[in-house]
Amino acid sequence: MSTTIAKLRAAQAHSYLTEQRGIRSWLLTTDHKRIALLYTFSVTGFFFIGGVFALLMRLELLTPATDLVSAHTYNELFSMHGIIMVWFFLIPSIPNTLGNFLIPMMIGAKDVAFPKLNLASWYVYMAGGIIVLYSVFRGGVDTGWTFYTPFSTVYSQTYVVGAALGIFISGFASIMTGLNFIATIHRLRAPGMTWFRLPLFIWSHYATSVIFVLATPVLAVTLLMLAVERIFQVGIFSAPLGGDPVLFQHMFWFYSHPAVYIMVLPGMAVVSELVAAFSRKAVFGYTFVAFASVSIAVLGFLVWGHHMFVAGQSVYSAMYFSVLSYLVAVPSAIKVFNWTATLYKGSISWETPMLYAIGFIGLFTIGGMTGLFLAALGIDVHVTDTYFVVAHFHYIMVGGTVMAYLGGMHYWWPKISGRMYPEGISKLSALTVFLGFNLTFFPQFVLGYLGMPRRYAAYPPEFQYLHILSTAGATILGVGYIMPLIYFLWSWHYGPAAPPNPWRATGLEWQTSSPPPTENFETTPIVTHKAYDYAGMKEELRLV
Amino acid sequence: MFSPPASMLREHYSTPEQQRETVTVGMWIFLATEVMLFGGLFTAFAVYRMYYTRGFDQGSAEMSILLGSINTAVLLTSSLTMALAIYSAAAGRLLRTYGLLLLTAVIGIAFLAIKFTEYYQHYQQHKVPGVWFESSSPDAGALQLFYVFYFAMTGLHAVHMSIGIALVVFYAFRTAAGRFSSEYYTPLEALGLYWHFVDIVWIFLFAIFYISGLHT
Amino acid sequence: MPAPTITAKSYVLTYVALLALVLITVLVGFLNLGWGSMFVAVTIATIKATLVAAVFMHALVEKKLVWIVIAGALIWFLILMTLTLGDYITRGWVLAGK
Repeated sequence: MSTTIAKLRAAQAHSYLTEQRGIRSWLLTTDHKRIALLYTFSVTGFFFIGGVFALLMRLELLTPATDLVSAHTYNELFSMHGIIMVWFFLIPSIPNTLGNFLIPMMIGAKDVAFPKLNLASWYVYMAGGIIVLYSVFRGGVDTGWTFYTPFSTVYSQTYVVGAALGIFISGFASIMTGLNFIATIHRLRAPGMTWFRLPLFIWSHYATSVIFVLATPVLAVTLLMLAVERIFQVGIFSAPLGGDPVLFQHMFWFYSHPAVYIMVLPGMAVVSELVAAFSRKAVFGYTFVAFASVSIAVLGFLVWGHHMFVAGQSVYSAMYFSVLSYLVAVPSAIKVFNWTATLYKGSISWETPMLYAIGFIGLFTIGGMTGLFLAALGIDVHVTDTYFVVAHFHYIMVGGTVMAYLGGMHYWWPKISGRMYPEGISKLSALTVFLGFNLTFFPQFVLGYLGMPRRYAAYPPEFQYLHILSTAGATILGVGYIMPLIYFLWSWHYGPAAPPNPWRATGLEWQTSSPPPTENFETTPIVTHKAYDYAGMKEELRLV
Repeated sequence: MFSPPASMLREHYSTPEQQRETVTVGMWIFLATEVMLFGGLFTAFAVYRMYYTRGFDQGSAEMSILLGSINTAVLLTSSLTMALAIYSAAAGRLLRTYGLLLLTAVIGIAFLAIKFTEYYQHYQQHKVPGVWFESSSPDAGALQLFYVFYFAMTGLHAVHMSIGIALVVFYAFRTAAGRFSSEYYTPLEALGLYWHFVDIVWIFLFAIFYISGLHT
Repeated sequence: MPAPTITAKSYVLTYVALLALVLITVLVGFLNLGWGSMFVAVTIATIKATLVAAVFMHALVEKKLVWIVIAGALIWFLILMTLTLGDYITRGWVLAGK
């Protein structure tokens, strides 16, 4: 036993973490694994900043009156919460952390196609983030994360251009990442790694990358025009010269709807891996899940008008977008059914990653189905811009993506850090997150249906009990998020050393040491099995 | 025969051919993002043109077809010199490549010079929205909108041209320093793709801004 | 790198064709075609762009993946254009039966 630990320690002495030392070797690294850690550090920081804004909002909402903060400040709170969470946490969260770390490993490559571009993307992202934080510091933005005109271009007195500039810049980091991943997945697969032997994590990230590359530039140009209109007062999107505010919405949502698929597809990527590993079974209907990822990416571009049903677009447009929005739910549902079928007759174990994965499946399903409510024109007229919508997207983004992110972090933590996290407390924190989440957001469905508008700090007193439940939940949720931060950091130094394949899972990333050497593999792997080949797994391949 | 010298092969690639093809695909993907970037502006332009055809036709009539056509020819010429520069590199005639790249840059600067001449003319005619715009036309609002798109789109194009010219000069000097050979000139190929794409954008800008008001 | 199958002569011929197309665009512009002017101008521009992409950018001799990337870019641009314009074109329409 002691020789095994000694061997593990010896392996860990020559890993990507230790082979080069000093701050310069981190800030100038081109190793995708180190870049993944740089991103993890940033993304975690932004998550907690965005979370603080959320907590302040929920504190204000404890009482019907606008008493904790002014209405103007409240506008700034929800705007900054949205901007930071969407662009600086959710969009980079899984792709730039787990994606960066794992994609080359899962395909058997030494690095991504363009390693220096990868490093540049982190700096670009940080530059954008710093500019946005500066805007916060100088007083914030009060337009909502959606920047609707003409308020954002003519009437708002806050740092709109600063915030827009920060987001514009960080968008290029997205484009660089997407480009890098597409080139990597096409060109750098190991011998024998055909498209249909790829882990579904790769398929989902490929789909995500396509969206990165095709949608983000439209956001860039929209924000550019917004800045031009605001600075020069030239009415591209507002009435005086004949501009149309709805055109801004078309262009904004052309990006922002696919963006929500950028946020959820990587979560689905993680769940596919976790469900297979903790059922010890191949994902049911691999081909269907793979094509479903691609379908979500494609169909996701055809539905943006469902954010604009009451904005003034034509009725025919609205009808078209409604039908397509129903259609786009189908591939997501296929994935949920297939994950569920994977569980059937599987050998299921309930480690923390699996708790998060199952949580994802349930909560994403609720979030997704409420999306169908919203896709129905008649219902949408009633619940649009209410807390129903807020609950819908938080079920997907938080109940879905954040849980998948945490699940993935736990699952691959041994590979990334060479340490095991503490299983007991992690299960407790998963449970805390799940309970806190539902207590926070389920009451919001009721609130929205009863008519509570979103982005309001004041409300009728009969809604107060629901807001109190929600704020209580948010507090519990916050505790649930702080716990992993603490025990992950603790485990980095004090956690037990992890073997190469602690979960005895399939996948090339588990065929190398934990943590891996800089070049990932001692020799280039040759792939002869299909993905998730648990049935065919020979004893000697299961490294312990 | 066409493989780069060993030192040019990055660690994580297994063959030079793989590296060259990956860089090419990477550049094409980047150009796809540029299509979407300009595409947003073309879409917005199309919407407003549909609504304000008369005002936009008037704006188009105020453009200088002479300068616009000359500029189009100028840019197409720079594409030719760029293509020939790369052709020369493939044929191992790197001195020619160096000369043709410099020529491309010079022609590119000529394009920008003509463009800024046009901008200055617009300024003298008080047709720069947000800076100095006057019009007695009944379609003044639509006309101003036309000019907003004109300056935004040709301006964004000019930014791309400037970056391109700087890169062409940079790579011309690298060529002169002997960094490339008939076996390895991948960065030049990527640069060529970018240059031609910027030319294509201008081809469409010329079509939408300069033609529709010509008949008046 | 595959031996360049595009000769210097092809480049020059394409260039000449492009210049000719610029001339044609301008000449057609002088005709009073109403909305047809824009349509013709953009169509000729598309032909010119295709020539530049196929010959100068070697798209004609590149592998399939590059063609897919080009097709993707074009299709996605068309999605943006079509669905956005679709809203504006149908705004004035009245539902049947009203």
